[in-house]
Amino acid sequence: MARIVVDPVTRIEGHLRIEAVVENGIITDAFSAGTMVRGLEKILIGRDPRDAWAITERVCGVCTTVHALASVRAVEDAIGISVPPTAELIRNIMMSTLYVHDHVVHFYHLHALDWVDIVNALKADPKKAAELAGSFSKWDKNTPAYFAAVQEKIKAFAASGLGIFANGYWGHPAYKLPPEVNLIAVAHYLDALEWQKDIVKIHAVFGGKNPHPNYLVGGVPCSIDVDEVAAINSERLNLVASLISQADEFINQVYIPDVLAVASFYKDWAKWGGGLKNYLSYGEYPTRGYSQVDSFKFARGVILNRDFSKVHPVNPRDSQEIKEYIAHSWYDYEGGDAAGLHPWAGETKLNYSGPKPPFESLAGYEKYSFLKTPRWKDQPMETGPLARLLVSYAAGHADVKESVGAVLGKLNVPLEAVFSTLGRTAARAIDAELAMGWLKEFFAELMGRVKTRETSTFNGEKWEPKTWPTECEGVGLVEAPRGSLAHWIKIKNGKIDNYQLVVPTTWNGSPRDAKQQRSSFEESLIGTPVAKLDEPVEILRTIHSFDPCLACSVH
Amino acid sequence: MTASRINARTAPAAVFPPLAEHPVEYRRVYVWELPVRVYHWINAVTLVLLCISGYIIGAPIRAFYAAEAYQQYWFGWVRFIHFVCAFVYVFNFAARIYWGFNSNKYARWNAFFPLTRAQRQEMVDVFKADVLQTKLHGPISTGHNAVAGFVYFFTFLAFVAQTITGFALYSSMSNSWLPRMFTWIVPLMGGEASVRSWHHLLLWFFVSFIIIHIYLAFYHDYIEGRGTISSIVGGWKFEREKQDD
Amino acid sequence: MALSIWQSMQQKGYSRRDFLQFCTAAAVMAGLDRSAGAQVASVFEKKEKPAVVWMHFQECTCCSESFIRASHPIVVDALLDVMSLNYTETLMAASGFQAEKSLNDTIQNNKGKYIVLVEGAVPTGADGVYCMIGGKTAESILQTVAKDAAAVVAWGSCASNGCVQAAKPNPTGATPIHKLINKPVINVPGCPPIADVMMAVVTHLLVLGQIPALDSLGRPKEFYGRRVHDTCYRRPNYDAGLFVESFDDENARKGYCLYKMGCRGPVTYNACSVTKWNEGTSYPIQSGHGCIGCSEEGFWDNGPFYQHLASFPGFGIESTADTIGIDVGVATLAGVAAHAVVTNIRKQKVIAEVHAEEHTQVPAGK
Ligand code: HEM
Ligand code: HEM
Ligand code: NFV
Ligand code: SF4
Ligand code: SF4
Ligand code: F3S
Ligand SMILES: [Mg+2]
Repeated sequence: MARIVVDPVTRIEGHLRIEAVVENGIITDAFSAGTMVRGLEKILIGRDPRDAWAITERVCGVCTTVHALASVRAVEDAIGISVPPTAELIRNIMMSTLYVHDHVVHFYHLHALDWVDIVNALKADPKKAAELAGSFSKWDKNTPAYFAAVQEKIKAFAASGLGIFANGYWGHPAYKLPPEVNLIAVAHYLDALEWQKDIVKIHAVFGGKNPHPNYLVGGVPCSIDVDEVAAINSERLNLVASLISQADEFINQVYIPDVLAVASFYKDWAKWGGGLKNYLSYGEYPTRGYSQVDSFKFARGVILNRDFSKVHPVNPRDSQEIKEYIAHSWYDYEGGDAAGLHPWAGETKLNYSGPKPPFESLAGYEKYSFLKTPRWKDQPMETGPLARLLVSYAAGHADVKESVGAVLGKLNVPLEAVFSTLGRTAARAIDAELAMGWLKEFFAELMGRVKTRETSTFNGEKWEPKTWPTECEGVGLVEAPRGSLAHWIKIKNGKIDNYQLVVPTTWNGSPRDAKQQRSSFEESLIGTPVAKLDEPVEILRTIHSFDPCLACSVH
Repeated sequence: MTASRINARTAPAAVFPPLAEHPVEYRRVYVWELPVRVYHWINAVTLVLLCISGYIIGAPIRAFYAAEAYQQYWFGWVRFIHFVCAFVYVFNFAARIYWGFNSNKYARWNAFFPLTRAQRQEMVDVFKADVLQTKLHGPISTGHNAVAGFVYFFTFLAFVAQTITGFALYSSMSNSWLPRMFTWIVPLMGGEASVRSWHHLLLWFFVSFIIIHIYLAFYHDYIEGRGTISSIVGGWKFEREKQDD
Repeated sequence: MALSIWQSMQQKGYSRRDFLQFCTAAAVMAGLDRSAGAQVASVFEKKEKPAVVWMHFQECTCCSESFIRASHPIVVDALLDVMSLNYTETLMAASGFQAEKSLNDTIQNNKGKYIVLVEGAVPTGADGVYCMIGGKTAESILQTVAKDAAAVVAWGSCASNGCVQAAKPNPTGATPIHKLINKPVINVPGCPPIADVMMAVVTHLLVLGQIPALDSLGRPKEFYGRRVHDTCYRRPNYDAGLFVESFDDENARKGYCLYKMGCRGPVTYNACSVTKWNEGTSYPIQSGHGCIGCSEEGFWDNGPFYQHLASFPGFGIESTADTIGIDVGVATLAGVAAHAVVTNIRKQKVIAEVHAEEHTQVPAGK
């Protein structure tokens, strides 16, 4: 029996430590620890609820905007306003843009190196690579000269010490791609890095900058007026249109084909990493107002025990549904370690009780993480692209069913294959493809509104805190790239009285609960073979398939 | 000093004899020399303008929205007035400090601090007579009374604070030596936002000072009837001749 | 082994002539005379691609995210050609022990020569347990990497002034790095800083081989010498007194000044209104929202963001210098009025005496 430690887990956001127990080459137990905390839930107290979007947006720069959106929704819910349809559309555009950006960056820059051997790409024949790429994609750039140039670049780079690629697990037997596929992926790694800076300009147009564009309680801060130079006018809209079509090409001619190509060599990874059998999605993309959940593109609901015949409704206001535990987390609750608290009654009291640093292992410590442990009706939940596709699939959303079916067909695998590390990665690609399609749809709709001059972007009815009830509470739900995110707010005398965030990676990456039920990261590692204990690429594959964000999870 | 003062505490009846029996005699005393008076009115005018313009800078009124930006500059002019007044006000104040070492005894630097026992006793008396009004007659100083003097001292401190914060803010928009001397204040106070907040808050100190100060000028004039108000214009006050003189 | 810039250009198939041209261009960029080209060439030839490590502490990774949005040069070129980035938890291939090895090797092999870029604040509360990597505290790691560094850059508001986690009540004791190490730190504040500003600071160090001129807060003057307000395109509206009164009102659509919506441009030093964000696409004000002052120390505690002045702590929401001041002013007026009334009652006698002094004389000659 060996206990392997991976810390830092890199190519994620934030500070994650994984400790895994390996017996006879198989993982039999695992511990997931978040080792950085900022205490933002305490910092929020006493502030103006209208500022909370900016503070919570700084929870994370990778999924920038999602916390801002959750926050403005929570405040709007509390004070009882809805935003104009045009503002809702712009929020949808911002969100789908983020999905597309985030998933591409995750695949190439955070995940690909678990599957792609950069050094091996040097052995590829650029001509063959071009032919191969041409067989599954119509991207103009995929020429022999292009692949040769990339190979040259990497060669020179390898000679100079490999920089960020140094000390990777290159040559590990778990790498299965032929040199040409490695080369294609490396080439697109570089291109994706260049491309990603462009799509976020959509955020800059509507929110002024990226990362961390501006949001606004009651709508969005930008104004639309095609008769004015200083507002969102035809030039700005043209810019967005061209960025969208550029992104569309990248998603459909580069990203999706690459994911499928890589996945087709790793079908054995449909066996491992499945983890929990419960899936949670808050749903996203309101098309007839945020209060009309049935109008969402992605459905809201829970699936228990992989039973797709029933989608359980989720009520974030019910004090018995969503609760957070700290049985194994470095916090104190007034009601003791066994208590579970609904976020409106949530507490954030730091109390580190782990080993004194520097330390080698967390083994033997009851509490081992700064993540709290969220549960839905005391059940652990997986959340993220896979979960939301499954919930929407079960809820019968046609476009989701169609996309999932198409990918399963292309990979020639059954639906069960998605309950795995590979499935999670493929689900993210489908998620991006859907978001790309919807982004185009939302933009077309926005143009329609511009045409008919229905462009109000702000509802100022309850802008002044003196128009609010002395006490009120609200919740804002968002289906973020990494899964189900919600902010719960309590307002008293115009100020934040309590504020709690329960974040996708909190669901997935948390320590076990008081009943010793594991959360997703831990559960999904169980049963995975590890070929070399000192190069546990298998752990990275599964953990990365969740796209962990630790700054989000702890905040 | 004591000789020129009437001790109302010990001899009210003698000092204020019954009506018409003994006519009261007054003596003219030249209290506020020209530099003090000039200082005073420049200070008063610029400070009022600084308060008004400063307030508008902080909370601009809705005005002239019909015209385009290139057609007007009203907010710029408000700021301009603020800055011009700021410079006049600061140099005027500096001149007053200089004069504090050259003036007659009434305007001298030591008139602003309760350094002597007598001054401190006078503060108690003023407090009883003018604030608590438990005594009818207070001491009647020829220059400012000890409380007024000490309050002016704090006002001068506020002048200094306002000057420092004001020039610190101004330093980001100027390359001339005077404001540049204050650049270091900004990081010291934790950034321009907090400098501004303090600068703005002090506005209200001055507003309160002005209200009380003008009120008291009338109050003293009314209660004492010896030309307090006109003294800051013409320089002369009237002092009762002692009966036994 | 690290390659010199000349060697890496050779490998890319550039000739020596190309290289000299490149050097001359670089020299001109650096403000040198064209004839100085030869001298610069020898400097570049000897120079290896400098080793750089990027540390992550209490952060949201948006500084890293911002950095990869750079457009000139794009980040791919910077990573492949300008520097040898040997450690960054966000992008590096290695994890765990192998990642630690990359860091340790870089320090060992480049003593006094490597550059440290720090993203995030460092928590000092509870002996540093609020941020731990590989079982070590952020604070101890910072001390180790900074010790032999040639230069230390603090990315973003987190590393340069503490940022959001240092906002009141700062539950973890988040501290900017310049307060922890005995080395001059180049502060590049902003939440995050502008991508091309970050890239420019890096190239200023690595390509020009110079530390940029810094102000008294350790910020490159090049980008933090002026307020957002000084170069804001809405400034003419400010001077003309034309203000947005409410989001999406008529004035907002005309692009009037956002001062009354709480814009912090007048108190914020940053390059947003000139360099702009995302390859010059926009900046907060251009999109209709005021600046929140994200590059200023303590900006989180200068809220609420939608009022011109910060709230004074302890006075309730929306309590600014003005609300407090107006209260004080009103109280003063009331006090004065009350005093006047009381005076007329209690001092009737004195007043009567004064009014009775009919026979006054002014002795001549006094
Ligand atoms: C002594 C009486 C003064 C008063 C009552 C006063 C009041 C004010 C007020 C209320 C503001 C608006 C602050 C805000 O809300 O942002 C202001 C701004 C300002 N004041 Fe003063 N101030 C005084 C003296 C000075 C002095 C001596 C200077 C020195 C130059 C000065 C320079 C400034 C500057 C530079 C601003 C900012 C203007 C802008 O950026 O547009 N002030 N003042
Ligand atoms: C509006 C702004 C004003 C300010 C800021 C102001 C300020 C001052 C200051 C600083 C002094 C002390 C002079 C020195 O010894 O250097 C003073 C004295 C005096 N001021 Fe004013 N003043 C103002 C308006 C007025 C007005 C309107 C009056 C008359 C109605 C007045 C009457 C006097 C008198 C009589 C003194 C003599 C000092 C005393 O008897 O204690 N002031 N003022
Ligand atoms: N987990 C997480 Fe996020 C996302 N997506 C937030 O809600 O990454 Ni930073
Ligand atoms: S400065 Fe802002 S953007 Fe950068 S890490 Fe800190 S919170 Fe994120
Ligand atoms: S919008 Fe802001 S930065 Fe621009 S001029 Fe107005 S106050 Fe200044
Ligand atoms: S909020 Fe930050 S991004 Fe620029 S305009 Fe203000 S400094
Ligand atoms: Mg939480």
